[in-house]
Amino acid sequence: MAALRKRGLVTAVICSTPFEKLGRAQARVLGVPDLPLVMIQHPLGGLGMDDVRARAAQATRAVIALLQERVA
Amino acid sequence: MSRIAAYLRIPGTAMEGIEDFEAATELCRARGWGDGLPIVPPTAQRVEKMLEYCDRPWDQSIASVPPRDGAATPLRLAANAVMAGCRPEYFPLLMLAVEAMCEKPLNLYGLQTTTHPVAPLVIVNGPVAQELDINAGHNAFGPGRQANATIGRAIRLALLNIGGAIPTVGDMATMGQPGKYSYLVAENEAANPWEPLHVERGFARETSTVTIVGAEGPHNINDHESITAEGVLRMTCGTVAITGSNNAYYAGEPLIAFGPEHAATVAAGGYSKTDVKRHIFEHATVALGSFSPENIGRRFRVKFAERYAGASLDARVPMAQRAEDIMIVVLGGAGKHSMYIPTFGETRSVTRALELADGTPARSVQAFRRS
Repeated sequence: MAALRKRGLVTAVICSTPFEKLGRAQARVLGVPDLPLVMIQHPLGGLGMDDVRARAAQATRAVIALLQERVA
Repeated sequence: MSRIAAYLRIPGTAMEGIEDFEAATELCRARGWGDGLPIVPPTAQRVEKMLEYCDRPWDQSIASVPPRDGAATPLRLAANAVMAGCRPEYFPLLMLAVEAMCEKPLNLYGLQTTTHPVAPLVIVNGPVAQELDINAGHNAFGPGRQANATIGRAIRLALLNIGGAIPTVGDMATMGQPGKYSYLVAENEAANPWEPLHVERGFARETSTVTIVGAEGPHNINDHESITAEGVLRMTCGTVAITGSNNAYYAGEPLIAFGPEHAATVAAGGYSKTDVKRHIFEHATVALGSFSPENIGRRFRVKFAERYAGASLDARVPMAQRAEDIMIVVLGGAGKHSMYIPTFGETRSVTRALELADGTPARSVQAFRRS
């Protein structure tokens, strides 16, 4: 993802809330400190399909916003 | 003037007030460094003494430690070794262990950052174990020996301070485990009826090695009654076969540390190490129906569709993907106990020999000493 970001593509990492610090630290380590993190509610494991779809919808909205931002 | 004094004149390399024990410990606490225990202040003099046993350039990285990708230079490792309480002669083994654990197959990034309670376990083989008085006998996983305690602790300090495995930032372990303070043992080769681990992996017996395993904590296998190989193996398999282990559904290498008495009973029954692995692979199994319906439906039937897509709930699930993935060592003292150590899922153990910078095998840590 960091490599794609460096090539100028719209990128984002989707991660659940407790992993935000790790995600930000890794983005810095990988040289893309501005890498957007799309945060979704924790947990991700042990969810029923309805909850998985809700997380996906949450993330999709954020990813679309990133793409629109780029177009604008 | 010492070499290190010249180095410390570079801005940003030295810290004020590090000489005093209380001040140094408080400094670490305030900055979130270290493992929470008091430290030995890493003064220039102590660090330089540690580096007497280093035959590499002090400021050139020997490995990149994830998740921060911190450069493990001998200088930084020496500071951590001092803080941990290491003796200078331990330093070559610490360097070797850190280099080995940063090799790709171990997946140190995964071990460091996962929610799973795993840590790099170091198993030492060969003459260096005796030379450094590394415990392979009674209480090998427990307290009491400076080498086990402090080399293991120095590794953890390096993982924290160089690698950045800071809890909730670079280490997301849900609970962690005590092996994350220090986790280093030697194999009890003298009491091993089979070939020791490093010989099994193609090294000469007189070569000293470290093997790094991405390991959970050890779980005891108590068997005071069995007097046959089959009996001991039956009790072993009963302990290894559990539903809550990564080894049931990933490609890790579950480790059995046989106590010498159990090992002797099994070997006396005619079992080679290969036979033991095969036996455990075939008999340490759990019925598919023992897993929860969600695990069966969402994991086994999907991830291992070729094996379980249409399998009955009586189908047996082994605790390794292949018999040869099961690791066997012998350690500990008298008594009827062995240990089962499950591993991280996506990891392969790494064995490396103790060598000088030019690749010559080191017969003794004294070979590293600067004249």
